[in-house]
Amino acid sequence: MASSLGQRTRHLAFLPYAVFLFIFLIWPGLYVFRQALNQSAGERNPMIEAVTGQYRSSFIFSLQLSFISSAIGLVIGSAVAIAIMQLADVRGLRNILVGYSSVAANMGGIPLAFAFLAAFGMQGLATRLLKEINIDIIGWGFKISDFWGIVLVYLYFQIPLMTLVLVPALDGLRRTWAEAAQSLGATVSQYWRFIALPILTPAILGGFLLLVANAFAAYATAYALSSGGSKLVPVQIRFFLQGETITGKSNLGYALAAWMVIITAMLVAGFQVMTRRAERWRQ
Amino acid sequence: MRLGRFIAWLVVGVVALFYVVPMIAMTRFAFQRIPVIKLSLGNVFDKWTVAPLFESFTESEFRSSATLSLMLAVATALLTLVLLVPTMAIAHLRSPRMRRLIELSATLPFVVPAIALVVGFAGTFRETLPILIRSSFGLVPLYVVTALPFTHRTIENGLAALDLRTLVNASRSLGASWTRTMIFVIAPNIRASIATASFLAFTVVLGEFTIASLLLKNTLPLYLAYAQGRNPQGAFAVGIVLIIVSTIFVALSNRLGKVVRA
Repeated sequence: MASSLGQRTRHLAFLPYAVFLFIFLIWPGLYVFRQALNQSAGERNPMIEAVTGQYRSSFIFSLQLSFISSAIGLVIGSAVAIAIMQLADVRGLRNILVGYSSVAANMGGIPLAFAFLAAFGMQGLATRLLKEINIDIIGWGFKISDFWGIVLVYLYFQIPLMTLVLVPALDGLRRTWAEAAQSLGATVSQYWRFIALPILTPAILGGFLLLVANAFAAYATAYALSSGGSKLVPVQIRFFLQGETITGKSNLGYALAAWMVIITAMLVAGFQVMTRRAERWRQ
Repeated sequence: MRLGRFIAWLVVGVVALFYVVPMIAMTRFAFQRIPVIKLSLGNVFDKWTVAPLFESFTESEFRSSATLSLMLAVATALLTLVLLVPTMAIAHLRSPRMRRLIELSATLPFVVPAIALVVGFAGTFRETLPILIRSSFGLVPLYVVTALPFTHRTIENGLAALDLRTLVNASRSLGASWTRTMIFVIAPNIRASIATASFLAFTVVLGEFTIASLLLKNTLPLYLAYAQGRNPQGAFAVGIVLIIVSTIFVALSNRLGKVVRA
């Protein structure tokens, strides 16, 4: 039996997959770094230029957007997950909320930008309805293509993503732990502070990192909201790829991309570590 | 406890409103021919029409981008399956080490954001193999990579639920070749995973904007961005259709995912 698929063929079988990944993922990734580290004479190192020069503010903008939308998404998404647990006896509610969360967490790109333009744009339906009850968001200076506008749109996928991360973690809290704590005289708040929260912390932190990575890589939504002109790092990279713009700074686009890979890699690695820790408590 | 339930309902209500309102607003904008300013309680149900959608359907730009997106979706799903199913089946049978290595490699696309991937891809192949950049089907390998973390997971679940060794031994001892075993024994047994992986690949292709936009390929999301300025109602109508189609794909893969795990 085993001889029919010998040692050599066994390794050959993995060749197509390995070659494919190398050509279409690993090599392009390495190419970005090679170009980013390629310093021509009389130029500053592109990797340094990318985070100190005029693009520094792009990174700050992108990171602020990611962290703030993730922090708000974490709070609201967790609140939804806890509400699902509290209302566990309401038939169908959990299925609807978790089901819709899995749909909304996947949403993004151009259609989502359209939905928010129709709702919270200058002539948006929600904008109008809010004005009816004397909440004039346009008067406050709210603009859907500005920082807080993009945060609002990102929440549409950040909140459900956090809910999806936290619901299984809350399921993993065993009833016996609460009962044990109670029989030993712990109050509800003591149970949460000293037992539930420490157990949930890796899942929550991991979820947060996942949300940040998710928002950091997003591009299409902000692009469509601002008709192409946004300070986001990916939008800046686009100019380099299409224009070969400023002479003497040809490798700056690659350096911006390389920094994106570095930041995303750190976030994903952190997520993996946290997930592994969170799983310790499941059987 | 009463208060806790009240707060829970409040959270659910507000978030549900946040989820639903943008969808309603988008639908209304696309299908009702009344500007928001003139909207009042008296005319909420007036002047609804599906004409904008059908106007888009007749545009040649829409047709060519819809055809392209559909072809890319099918090609991406096929390449994904051809690449993953045999490799992963053999890894399951023969080499747990390979299985872990493949699992690790399948999370790599998370690390390289689409924008970095396409910049590296364009730089690599602009000189060496320009056909990959000129042809629209050059997108297919990049989409396979983008969908990999999700497609790998579903096929992994499907294979893990099988008694693969017994199946393959039975098939091989009855004289079937490896290819026959793969097509007639393994594939039918993980058909739910194969369908799920295909739906996930379709969802990725129908929603992907970054890569197609940087390589200037007119897929459906690019058509949306382009039609937004020229014919906003029609563009929004097509956007709704895209949301509905991907929602169906996600729902189907959720349902089938449960079948696999059960």
